[in-house]
Amino acid sequence: MVTSELLTGLSSIILEEQIQGGSHSSPLLGNNGRITVFPKTEQEIADILQYANEKAMKINIIAGGTKRGFGGIEESADILLSLEQYKGVVEHSPGDMIVTVKSGTTYQELQDFLAEHKQKVPLDPALPKEATIGGVIAANDFGPKRLGYGSARDMVIGLRMVYPDGTIIRSGGKTVKNVAGYDMNKLFIGSMGTLGVISEITIKLRPLQQYESLILLSFPDGNLEDIHTFTISLLDSVMEPVALELLNPPLAEIVTGHRAFTLAISFEDVESSVRYQVDYVKQHKPSDASISILEQNDARSFWDNLAAVSPNGQQTVSEQTTKAALKVGVKNLDVVSVIKESQLLQDSHHLKAEAHGGLGTGLCKVYLTGTKDDVVSAITSLRSFAEHLGGYAVATHLPLALRQQIKVWGEKPSHFFLLDGIKAKVDSKRILNNGRFVGGI
Amino acid sequence: MVRNKVKTNDIHIINLAKLVSSPNAILYKEEDLLAYDCDGFTIERHLPRAVVFPKNTEEVSQIVKYCAENNLPFLARGAGTGLSGGAIPLNNEVIISLVRMKRLLEVDLENRRAVVEPGFVNLKLTNSISDKGYYYAPDPSSQYACTIGGNVAENAGGAHCLKYGVTTNHILGLEVVLPNGEIIEIGNGGIPDSPGYDLLGLLTGSEGTLGIVTKITVRILKNPEAKQTVLAYFDNIEDGSQAVSDIISSGIVPAALEMMDKTAIEGVEAAAFPVGHPKDIEAVLLIEVDGIAAGIEGQIEMILDVCRKWNVREVKAARDEAERGRWWANRKTGFGAMGAISPDYLVQDGVIPRSRLPEVLAKINHISKESGLRIANIFHAGDGNLHPLVLFDSRIPGETEKAIEAGSACLKVCADVGGSITGEHGVGIEKKEEMRFVFNDEEIIAQTNIRDVFNPDHLLNAGKLFPTPGRCAEVKRELSSKN
Ligand SMILES: Cc1cc2nc3c(=O)[nH]c(=O)nc-3n(C[C@H](O)[C@H](O)[C@H](O)COP(=O)(O)OP(=O)(O)OC[C@H]3O[C@@H](n4cnc5c(N)ncnc54)[C@H](O)[C@@H]3O)c2cc1C
Repeated sequence: MVTSELLTGLSSIILEEQIQGGSHSSPLLGNNGRITVFPKTEQEIADILQYANEKAMKINIIAGGTKRGFGGIEESADILLSLEQYKGVVEHSPGDMIVTVKSGTTYQELQDFLAEHKQKVPLDPALPKEATIGGVIAANDFGPKRLGYGSARDMVIGLRMVYPDGTIIRSGGKTVKNVAGYDMNKLFIGSMGTLGVISEITIKLRPLQQYESLILLSFPDGNLEDIHTFTISLLDSVMEPVALELLNPPLAEIVTGHRAFTLAISFEDVESSVRYQVDYVKQHKPSDASISILEQNDARSFWDNLAAVSPNGQQTVSEQTTKAALKVGVKNLDVVSVIKESQLLQDSHHLKAEAHGGLGTGLCKVYLTGTKDDVVSAITSLRSFAEHLGGYAVATHLPLALRQQIKVWGEKPSHFFLLDGIKAKVDSKRILNNGRFVGGI
Repeated sequence: MVRNKVKTNDIHIINLAKLVSSPNAILYKEEDLLAYDCDGFTIERHLPRAVVFPKNTEEVSQIVKYCAENNLPFLARGAGTGLSGGAIPLNNEVIISLVRMKRLLEVDLENRRAVVEPGFVNLKLTNSISDKGYYYAPDPSSQYACTIGGNVAENAGGAHCLKYGVTTNHILGLEVVLPNGEIIEIGNGGIPDSPGYDLLGLLTGSEGTLGIVTKITVRILKNPEAKQTVLAYFDNIEDGSQAVSDIISSGIVPAALEMMDKTAIEGVEAAAFPVGHPKDIEAVLLIEVDGIAAGIEGQIEMILDVCRKWNVREVKAARDEAERGRWWANRKTGFGAMGAISPDYLVQDGVIPRSRLPEVLAKINHISKESGLRIANIFHAGDGNLHPLVLFDSRIPGETEKAIEAGSACLKVCADVGGSITGEHGVGIEKKEEMRFVFNDEEIIAQTNIRDVFNPDHLLNAGKLFPTPGRCAEVKRELSSKN
């Protein structure tokens, strides 16, 4: 269909000022649209989807744009559906500790709103100022405090989804427990927008911590055995760290100023409990590790800085140097090996590798900067390292050209037919975020 | 060698007997099948065609393949403690009992996980690792009997799920036999976020309608450093409910926050584990806080302040582990205790936003008055999960029906305040029609569409979970299948 026809079709659904010809961001990341639409209501989203579905037109979904480099093998779809203007808190019930929010609300906006009520969504995703809550849930992003609070699947209790044919499907509800029917929330979390557009999200909240401290243990000799042993003893103690994150030297240098393997241990609770745990770590830390302790605002700034390190799909991509981000999943303690391996990549592949991983969660984030060829071979090598350990590596940020070259999600799982079967039932014409997920779904 | 000799003309039973290798691994005589005509939901009964007891995944797969090839309905069964009829053979199913697959396969304390077979009993897991200071968090009151496979199927909860989450938050990996007999592994042995749609999350709570779980990797937790347990007695149920609401919104996350009303107290005090609750009290709260010892005292103080604000008559803290144990036994045997004050009882399982507790309890009280049946309330107050227990006498003609109606009315009240019809017991047969209180036709079809991906011929546990389609739904299904 020619663009002008598309324009006419869409302008019968939404106001002209909510439609933009073309897309204004760099083509190097892909996931664009020939036309961008900015719906402001759920009904508009539904109408746009229904229209596109009838005409079998492809739609890419975007909001903050931070994950533009995450999956997808096309430069452009017919329509780019932007949720940027679909934002705001729909309902907040402080007594029930739940909030319902529109998906285009940025993570930070939501968190600021909740902070006024001494509450929070206990996720700590990358780039909270730009990332929207819908994007965070759709991509299942998370941060180091996942150890203490869990991930999106543990806190999202209800969703309103707009299905490709424009039907509104509610899953879950507004209660913290609910087993009526299938737990469809789980299906949509992390589905990368391939099953529907997330319209509203209902989340179970936590009280804002009364006190927080962060211990940075830095290991100048890089003795990873020490880190391993200390971690095992800490995890086997009754201490309750909410984060236990290992940073490789280049990343530690960015966020702490010291180039050394660094263990970031975070405690959040009432003050007496936090102090007790900090003392425990002081007494039990390996003798050659140097320690610094950050409290309250200082601890928060550290985590904010760490969350800002990730490559951002909003920014223009340079032709010369390639940036990539990987999510690596392994068994909890194998994180030490992955962080070490990412350090070795620097020399073997002549690039910059910044990496951190949770020793109680098994999940690492690795950021690579270098030439195209070096980045590709480093990804391949890190992926096979992770697979050797029984794990996986997913490329969460890559330029389009490299996504066409490397399998972003790795090989298809053996039960791929179930995943594809689900996609086929929900989005039979494959109009939504086509090709953005596992195995080309 | 055929271990299982059968005397019957039913060729399917003869063939199934060849697929199971442990001794006495098939039941097919009517007198043996009677024990399998219902589960913990006893109002409806149907006989299965046979019950088979596979001893490993391969046998499960062979049985399922046989059933699929011969068009025989089948379903999985654990301990049969389910309260919504999920394991009842509505269609003369072959029941695949997992109780002989009950091994603890692996414990990996460093990576905090354990691998069990589906017939492994919930409480045994904690008992097997408690000497090392670890436990498995989901603790349904039936945990001494129910299987972890059954817990996965129902997404079981329990008193301590308020702080630690329900079954789904603790499942890291599953091995599943699909309805065509194929064996799949999901969750990558416990590594989180395997690429792909979250089938782990989808299968957990799917009530045995998508596949048969044959191996489970679970998360295990370190015991908290300290625990403090408190009983608080209220003269007025509204005050008790307000206290619940205020405790939660004060920023404390208790490990457990349970409530019983007057009728329930009468029951538990007349049953096997009385603890001397005052007889004239309207509500008791059982509150537990756990975590780092240094932080507990302050939290208990805050809780006591809230209780005082809401006119608590008396509070007491457990003096030792033995007393704490008695209080929990008193609470956890609460359903069965109703047997001491009523010939029959029906348990319901609505969930509500906690702030609506006072209003909902008043409405349930009204339903009780209208129906003339006593309703006891024992529940997980902290997460708004009510368990109205409708007391009745099935020998009195019409009273069973009245009890079912009253139970359904309680669920309607929950749904109407923005809640749900079930928090942990599942829909099963019992609440199929009540699904319409919370989902419209399109939403139900969205779910049955997913079922059809896994279970296209509906041989596995058919007739459960979803309401009989209305006309309008049938028409839409026609349309959607033509797409
Ligand atoms: C006194 C009492 C107290 C209870 N308290 C609680 C409570 O506090 N919290 C709570 O959540 N529940 C509670 N329950 C309900 C019940 O114990 C749980 O639902 C439990 O999870 C059922 O486990 P089971 O092994 O008995 O499963 P069953 O009753 O045998 O089966 C339940 C369902 O699971 C399916 N199933 C069983 N095993 C498998 C498998 N391996 N693969 C696939 N599907 C399978 C069956 O087909 C059926 O649909 C209580 C029940 C009783 C009788």
